[in-house]
Amino acid sequence: MPRTLFRSALVVALLIPVVHAATPVETQKARHEHYEKLGKAFKAVRDQTSTDSPDFAVLLQSAEAVNEASINQQQWFPKGTGPEAGKTRALPEIWTKPADFEAAQKMFSDRAPKLLAAAKAKDVDAAKAAFKDLGGACKNCHDAFRAPEH
Amino acid sequence: MTDVDSPPPSSGGAARIRVWDLPTRITHWLVVLLVAISWWTAEADRLEWHRWSGYTLLGLVLFRIYWGLVGSSTARFAGFVRGPRAITSYLKGGWTVAAGHNPLGALSVVALLVLLVAQISLGLFAVDIDGIESGPLSLYVSFEVGRVAGHWHCELFNVLLGFIALHIIAVAWYVFFRKQNLVGAMVHGERAYSPPLPAPVQPASLLRLVIGIVVAVAITWAVTRAFKF
Repeated sequence: MPRTLFRSALVVALLIPVVHAATPVETQKARHEHYEKLGKAFKAVRDQTSTDSPDFAVLLQSAEAVNEASINQQQWFPKGTGPEAGKTRALPEIWTKPADFEAAQKMFSDRAPKLLAAAKAKDVDAAKAAFKDLGGACKNCHDAFRAPEH
Repeated sequence: MTDVDSPPPSSGGAARIRVWDLPTRITHWLVVLLVAISWWTAEADRLEWHRWSGYTLLGLVLFRIYWGLVGSSTARFAGFVRGPRAITSYLKGGWTVAAGHNPLGALSVVALLVLLVAQISLGLFAVDIDGIESGPLSLYVSFEVGRVAGHWHCELFNVLLGFIALHIIAVAWYVFFRKQNLVGAMVHGERAYSPPLPAPVQPASLLRLVIGIVVAVAITWAVTRAFKF
């Protein structure tokens, strides 16, 4: 009997690495890193649009990163990665009001291409306006679905 | 600002002496107002207003430092910042009365000014967690450094609040236990003294005032533009 138990345990242990998907905590951590990268990209956009002689290569690279994130973020909130899984500012409303959350995410992915277009066109004023618009989309979602910092 | 009260001749009674000039008083109360506005706009997430409030504070603090160097007699650091010996002597009651800050109150002025300078400087470089809101000089630092500045901008405010509380408690103590109306003095500029009467404030010239305002506004403007012209 103990032998059988030991064998089953061994089989399970060996299988774990094969079927291993990200744990909720790992997903939270990855999500945090994604948003940190997004924050860096936003800062770069802000830096480049607040000067009269922007570095368009940096602006374009950052606008691309923002645009990618706006599409990918729709995969960043699988069920079970809310506060019940570990320390996160993601509010339970993300999963209890999925339609509202999707709409908030869509606002971001609708507006991000405008920044990308402005960066491609090297149009600083349009990039500035698109950045401001994007800031509104961030705030819109954060106000409803992210817990305050303290 | 030339309405200097002369002590009543040989009356031996109390007299009202002008202690603070108008620029010092206006600066003081505007700083109070702007610190409150900065606090509220930060709490309410009105970062656009918060930046403008911070810029105004920067200008006020720059002017106050300038006024502490070349302004009216009681506003000058050289006139009121004293060493530990003077502070001990004041605490023992051996202080010759002079108009303006006492040696202990001087510490409060210096502490609050240093904290304000630190708080405003951190805010200039601060970046919020989303990289969306930031101080005007944050383009000279990385996201990480900007976040650290933002973090300390947030933490240091609590220290500033603590020192403001201490300042208010100290002033209240003078008002209630020593019957010295320091608040009124900072409003209308005069304080009642009993003999021996101290010398009243020596005002600075209008030209110096204008230069100070122009310099403070110019530096503040340059900072808001991140020194890019």
